[in-house]
Amino acid sequence: GASDNRAGGPLTDFVQQLEDYAPTIPDSVTAFYLNRAGFEATDPRITRLVSIAAQKFVSDIANEALQHCKMKSSSGQTKSKGKDKRLTLTMDDLTPALAEYGINVKKPAYFV
Amino acid sequence: MASENDQHAISSRKALKVAVSALCLEVGFQTAEESVIETLTEMLESFLMELGRSTQAFAELAGRTEGIMTDVIMALIEMGQNIHALPGHAKRPNKTVFLPPAHSAPHPN
Repeated sequence: GASDNRAGGPLTDFVQQLEDYAPTIPDSVTAFYLNRAGFEATDPRITRLVSIAAQKFVSDIANEALQHCKMKSSSGQTKSKGKDKRLTLTMDDLTPALAEYGINVKKPAYFV
Repeated sequence: MASENDQHAISSRKALKVAVSALCLEVGFQTAEESVIETLTEMLESFLMELGRSTQAFAELAGRTEGIMTDVIMALIEMGQNIHALPGHAKRPNKTVFLPPAHSAPHPN
């Protein structure tokens, strides 16, 4: 239509499709945090768009950490990982992943 | 009043933690350190609040009281998120959904 532009056009269609979409973060939970920040969405599709954006944010970081984890296990530092294929998300993987996002995580000195 | 809100905050926080765990599992991790999940939950909470604040600010800048889709998109762009990757993420094949927490029964007092 006339209101379509290059940036918003396809995304408008996408948001229309969110009518019966169930995000991993429940609507009520997303709505709670949005309300807390002063934003109340009456359209559930907007809440879902926020949920999807937030999920992707976490998913991308976790994926980055996974790449670090795989790289570490393939570069010699194998400590019985060949037998045990369970991958564990550790702070040692998360820290370099977050560093790529410009977030500097420091291990608390007295954290048990 | 305050305690009711606290209860809501606690249950929301727990649900957020479950969502973070589900997302980590989806990516390919089987186990995770408690501190990692806690860090990611904190970041997710912060992300949601910032997006809400920013969306409301864009709506009010445009002379509206309630944020609409374009305000959310503007807020996402300002936060440096790639909005064009969102449909692909929404349609991922291994999406997990869990039942959202129900509202607690109101206190009798």
